[in-house]
Amino acid sequence: MSPNEERLRILIAEQAAEWFVSNRAGLSAREREAFTAWLKASPVHVEEYLGLASIARDLREVGADSESSVDSIVARARAAEVEPIQPLWPRAPETEPYPFSARWRAAAATAAACVGLCLGLLAWWNFRLAPLGPAPDTAAALHFETRHGEQQTHRLPDGSILHLNTDTAVAISYSKSERILMLASGEADFEVTHEPERPFRVFAGSAEVIDIGTQFDVRLEHDLTVVTVVAGRVAVGPSSMLRERGRNAGQEPLTRFVELHADQQISVAQGVWPAAPIAVDAHRTTSWLRRQIMFDHEPLSLVATEFNRYASKPIEITTPALRDLQISGVFTTDDTDGFIAFLRSLAGVHVEVTATRIRVSRD
Amino acid sequence: MTEIKKSLVERLFAEHGGALQAFLYRRVHRHPDAAELAQEVYVRMLRVPNMTTVRNPEAYLYAVASNLAKEHARRARHYSNVTDIDDPLVQDQLAELPAFGGDLDREQRVKRLREVLRQLSPKCQAAVELQYWHGLSYEEIAQRLGISTNMVKKYLSQALVHCRRRMARLG
Repeated sequence: MSPNEERLRILIAEQAAEWFVSNRAGLSAREREAFTAWLKASPVHVEEYLGLASIARDLREVGADSESSVDSIVARARAAEVEPIQPLWPRAPETEPYPFSARWRAAAATAAACVGLCLGLLAWWNFRLAPLGPAPDTAAALHFETRHGEQQTHRLPDGSILHLNTDTAVAISYSKSERILMLASGEADFEVTHEPERPFRVFAGSAEVIDIGTQFDVRLEHDLTVVTVVAGRVAVGPSSMLRERGRNAGQEPLTRFVELHADQQISVAQGVWPAAPIAVDAHRTTSWLRRQIMFDHEPLSLVATEFNRYASKPIEITTPALRDLQISGVFTTDDTDGFIAFLRSLAGVHVEVTATRIRVSRD
Repeated sequence: MTEIKKSLVERLFAEHGGALQAFLYRRVHRHPDAAELAQEVYVRMLRVPNMTTVRNPEAYLYAVASNLAKEHARRARHYSNVTDIDDPLVQDQLAELPAFGGDLDREQRVKRLREVLRQLSPKCQAAVELQYWHGLSYEEIAQRLGISTNMVKKYLSQALVHCRRRMARLG
């Protein structure tokens, strides 16, 4: 299991626990609807909920032979109050992997097939969730996925706007004290409604981005996380999910965080941090929002890779020398035909379209 | 197909939700426990791959509920200071033969869980004990520990996640 899968798994466990605990106190009609939607969003959610239910049952049994009275339990907890605060999970080194059961794997595979359900959920989210913000302490939790070539835009309950690019999965968890988004794969653009009391935190690979009122783009590709700021400022630093994620992770001093301004970008590969952010044209990075891909003297190999993120038929460069051919222009992500016509217009380039591939070679 | 299943389960709960909760309450004698179990029955029903293949969904619903209630009671022996021989659950238990070592696995699990529980902060641990051992409501726990109800819920969900993670390692 990749660290991302693991973090996603923990996030889902946290969501399941919040629902489990709320359910005991009883849900309002609206919360009940939200709970149903959460369950419908993925079979993984169902599995996790039942897993916690069985833990709760076991916990009852732990106490079956205990002699502690209510008063003695309270006295013990009160006595501990004067001691220095203990970390919540003192014996839980965060690097230990969270083992996946075979069942969960199977469920995760099914989850991929659940896009239909997700769409229903999105409709619900867009139209019903707006008033959920001030709900007592029930965190709203969801996740969105886009298929290959698909893009989606969602308005989140706090008014922030989330754009998802092709092949992207995002898990969202809003609580009273923080807004957490986990980019599991792909690329997303965030237009964040600033709430000083409730930080907006994006976890992607080894990096964590904390919004300071802004629009920014995060792309995750294997072990590479690329953060680009379109407007405003963000703080980027090592993901606190990889460190201990205790109660008040949000209140840590942002010592190792770098501040990023508009048209600045930082790329973190396998947890290795560059000395400083680089200057980029953020308008270009986010051209996918307009269903465009923009190239300015880029090698054909890179252009093909970029097109293949959206195209149903991959572009293959069969003549190695062509890989460095410089390409400039603005293309529409879903207009492969337009791109093929453009390539055909170039001198010495031959394009062959087969049932499964688009082959580019020297004439 | 999933949509059909969904609507079937939902219809089932719309029709039987109240009766189911009453059914569970008669067995567990605590409203919050009954609510928690009813919720779990619902989640379990959602998981049935194809509801249309279940011959008698209502009977199935109550069978699931009854099993959960039995399981719940077995683990909460602690509560029952008085044994009511007319209690359907007591009769269920009397009808069951004692297990021979089949519970060894469970004993180990419970032992391990007891250790895991001790890793939590004192208040978090106390919240768990007051809820799961003594069945106190969130409000009662909040009052006793001098914290907010929200904090109680936060402690309990943190504890569940922690236990789940630690116990998952067991296999």
